[in-house]
Amino acid sequence: MLTRRSLIVGAASLPVLTRTAFAQKSANVLRYGLSAFPPNLNPWDNVGAAAGTIKLLVHRSLLAFDAKGNLRPELAESWSSDGKAWTFKLRQGVKFHNGDSFDAQDVKWSLEQIGAEKSTAYFKNQVAGLEKIEIVDPFTIRLVTKQPDVSLPLWFGNYNMFIISRNSQPGQPIGCGPYKIAATERGTSIELAANDKYYKPGFPKMKGIKFTVYADENLRMAALQSGDVDMIEYVPWQSMESVEKDSRLALDAKPGPFMCVLFNGSKGPCSDPRIRRAIGHAVKREDIVKAAFFGRGSALEGVPLVEGTPWWDPVLSKGWAYDPAKAKALLAEAGVPNGFNATMLATAQYGMHKDTAEVVQQHLAAVGINCELKLPDWSTRVSLGTTGQYEIAIHGLAADNNDPDGLSAIIDTSLSASHGRSFALPAPRTTDALKRGRAELDQAKRVEIYKEMQRACIEEAPMVGLAWRSQGYGYDKSVKGFTNIGGALSTSSGGLLEETYFG
Amino acid sequence: MNGKAAKWLARRIGGSLLLAFLVVTIVFFTLHLVPGDPAVLLLSTGGAAPSQEQVMRLRDKLGLDRPLIEQYWTFLSGIVQGDLGKSLQDDYPVASEIALRLPRTLELIFAAVIIGLAVGFPSGVKAAFGHGGWFDRIASGTAALLMAIPVFVVGTLLVLAFAVQLRWMPAGGFTPFSQDPVKHLTLLTLPALAIAKGLAATVFRMTKASVLDVMTRDHVRTARAKGLTPRRITMRHVVRNALSPVVTVVGLQIGTLLGGTVLVEYVFNWPGLSSPLIKAVEGRDYPMVAGIVLTISGLFLLINLIMDLLYAVLDPRVRP
Repeated sequence: MLTRRSLIVGAASLPVLTRTAFAQKSANVLRYGLSAFPPNLNPWDNVGAAAGTIKLLVHRSLLAFDAKGNLRPELAESWSSDGKAWTFKLRQGVKFHNGDSFDAQDVKWSLEQIGAEKSTAYFKNQVAGLEKIEIVDPFTIRLVTKQPDVSLPLWFGNYNMFIISRNSQPGQPIGCGPYKIAATERGTSIELAANDKYYKPGFPKMKGIKFTVYADENLRMAALQSGDVDMIEYVPWQSMESVEKDSRLALDAKPGPFMCVLFNGSKGPCSDPRIRRAIGHAVKREDIVKAAFFGRGSALEGVPLVEGTPWWDPVLSKGWAYDPAKAKALLAEAGVPNGFNATMLATAQYGMHKDTAEVVQQHLAAVGINCELKLPDWSTRVSLGTTGQYEIAIHGLAADNNDPDGLSAIIDTSLSASHGRSFALPAPRTTDALKRGRAELDQAKRVEIYKEMQRACIEEAPMVGLAWRSQGYGYDKSVKGFTNIGGALSTSSGGLLEETYFG
Repeated sequence: MNGKAAKWLARRIGGSLLLAFLVVTIVFFTLHLVPGDPAVLLLSTGGAAPSQEQVMRLRDKLGLDRPLIEQYWTFLSGIVQGDLGKSLQDDYPVASEIALRLPRTLELIFAAVIIGLAVGFPSGVKAAFGHGGWFDRIASGTAALLMAIPVFVVGTLLVLAFAVQLRWMPAGGFTPFSQDPVKHLTLLTLPALAIAKGLAATVFRMTKASVLDVMTRDHVRTARAKGLTPRRITMRHVVRNALSPVVTVVGLQIGTLLGGTVLVEYVFNWPGLSSPLIKAVEGRDYPMVAGIVLTISGLFLLINLIMDLLYAVLDPRVRP
């Protein structure tokens, strides 16, 4: 019988019952809430950051990024360039997961697979562009380039550029990373077990890592709060505050990816760089940071280079500063003083794209540019973007790395058509500066070249920066030794899970 | 079975097969008409910008550069041979994916039906007998509320209450029964409850209306006049007769639930058939979408066919 007394007793017992979480920590196994189940784990195909996190733990490349975002030795102990070629001195005594020994033959074989004619590897074009791959001795390899390429070592820090055993069969790569895949529940979870033959003594620190997929960001967050998992990636912006306030949890959020405006240069007013610059000056970025990212980001009014790096410049970083009067003047100069009508492409599938587009639409309307929003699903957005069926597009992405050359895929519009770049929009000075920067080995000269590149980019506006957005990892405070690398490398932080432990 | 009945059955099965064929054909061509190239999408994951050359190579590898009609023919002949093809995302056989996921969706639906019936039917009977009383009022109000609140809201509230606040249950996920039966059933509870809430409300209202209707019939009055005990009247003369419309509703609901679990599976991270379907539609993974839609529509048609057959068995007037 339900009495008033039993109700009161029941209610009073609730706080006692809440103290023990349903899920308990497993002994030395990190439980990680992954944002998506990897479409595949091919070591060389780019299928997203979730796959990248797992690949970074199962495989190793010649180099990797450390917690500060600098390259550090992995399968290569040192690397140097004589201008024409890069020489990598390889680590001895490394064993693959199947017990095979690693040497230069594995590096050569892996690179040959990446550069092969039918390869779908992310770095296919770069590797196929190498003039020669020379094995100097079993533990020295020399990569001869057609022209000097300072960015080459950075390739080997990327999570789509691993060295696997030459005895690997198609679809069954044999890696030599700190963990091995122990079990996979398709669409649900992936369990990793420590590789006892790993070449770094004392690593990995955990016995295993269990990745469970929570595609819904709110559920991923709930799983962290309820103690189902010890750590999650992509903490939703609206939940960052509650993670910070929770005495049990820690948040490691850093600006990384960014939002930008892309243009169709083949038709309409946006083929005129003055109009593109006008758009750059017309948008108040802080409104985007507030509306789309709950204040978890910052304004981006120049070329997306991380503050504090040698390439960053305080003046150039304000190249497209918010200035509606200047925007109107530029429109008048371009012959459209009263503005114009245009279509703005984004996607409704991702809230941040839609919210950003809506804010940009409002600010453009204030200077006379009336945009009709097109918000299809992501697949259609990609298709319309690649075929240039828009005038203005809103996009969100990250550079390949924190070097200015990592921006090539976004601002080098001489590359083939893509939804992630402006369409048919020549920006010859920007492209040329990127090319020169890539070929220059002297750091001081590179800094100058990239300042020149930023000036060119601000004038030619092959894209216009809008806002940096914060990329956050949330974890139980007992999780130690993990760092969000930040900047373009935030999604590469998974590689540091080999150093993560419960403290 | 006489010849006439066999002919009727053959006609019904033939009709179902034709419908399945039409569904698959429409799905196949509609998907190809919608913008979005699977090769571009696969290579653009994470905001990357693939080169045209990379896209062409992948299209060639996946067979997407062949004429549409040829792709359709390959797909159809595969189905006839029992081969649903392979996922464009990771080369995994579509049939294996369905074999892995379908039982989980069916299990969720089965659990929801059990809960829905266990809650809805007895409370419907009780509400009808105490028509207008406090239980009826509370239960009817609750049923209306449960029907009005969308399933994803209920799902999110359940997660917030039982996982985040009370921490009694996991927030979501899946553990195979063979690995840990207790955890499997614990994980099943919240999503099954979320699905069952609508079903329980429907069954409650249907039962209540049906019982009220039966209670006014002549045979019940006769039973009362005969001096039978209320318990005997309820069990033997009311509930039994009130059951058939309820069974019909549940039968129809099972079909609807096949498509309706999508949101619940998403909210609770239950790896049934819906997550690969959503992912496949987003990634334009044609063989996967067609395979799953074919399975769902096939099951739907099968349930309808069985219902038709059952009616024919139960009601001589429908028999051929």
